[in-house]
Amino acid sequence: MKIITINQLKFAVGFAVLTILFRYGLSNLLNNEYFVYVWLLAILYFATLFIVGWVFGKKDYLSFPFYDVGFRFHLSSYILYITISELWFLFEMQSRYENIKTVHLTALIWGIFLVIHFFFFLYTRKNAIKGINKSDIFE
Amino acid sequence: MNNEKLLIQLLLAWEETYKKGQLTLWIFLALKENKKYVEEIKSFVEEKSNKTLCCEEQSLYRNLRKFQHLGVVDYETGKGNKGPERKYYFLTNLGQTLLNQFINRNISLFFNKNIKNLLNTED
Repeated sequence: MKIITINQLKFAVGFAVLTILFRYGLSNLLNNEYFVYVWLLAILYFATLFIVGWVFGKKDYLSFPFYDVGFRFHLSSYILYITISELWFLFEMQSRYENIKTVHLTALIWGIFLVIHFFFFLYTRKNAIKGINKSDIFE
Repeated sequence: MNNEKLLIQLLLAWEETYKKGQLTLWIFLALKENKKYVEEIKSFVEEKSNKTLCCEEQSLYRNLRKFQHLGVVDYETGKGNKGPERKYYFLTNLGQTLLNQFINRNISLFFNKNIKNLLNTED
């Protein structure tokens, strides 16, 4: 069983596209000082991410019930978001109101939650055989 | 609620619980007989269970993927009667041992003479 599945890759592509669109929209709104719309954009971004994650996560589970309590999707989201954000600053596409420190702070705080999620993932593996939840093996 | 209606409701509820987990046994029995592709497994399960157990091909594929990952089932590709190559599934040595031990521990007891008498529904 491959750890990186087709559905996970599709999710990653969707996530990357949405994040690039989000960063583009955010920088433009801030440059034009449309501060109120930033909230709307953020809500729209998180809502669409949630839907994309839900759809591909469900498909992934139905295809193969890998028991990882969502950790693979979480990890790929973290890597993509931080990488895209860092590159955004590297290529100087940010607005004058954005600061690279925000990205680093996000990476740190999100990273702590990711580590907690990782320990939770390790804990749940006690109930799994070769990555499949014991109660999901014999249906 | 009259007794007949209650009986049917209880029977359906019991069967629903009883059938959970049975698909694995039927899949393994189908593969113990010989190598089969998914449509053949489906036919075997439905025919041999007197159609008390129905399964979607999607569900079979999902189960076979899991069993293959766990090393109890494997497949080899072979030509079908018509069309593209098919995956012929079979039990691995681990799968055979697992099935045999499961039968010894959980199914064989039904062949005990006393139990067989109790299972006899003819009065």
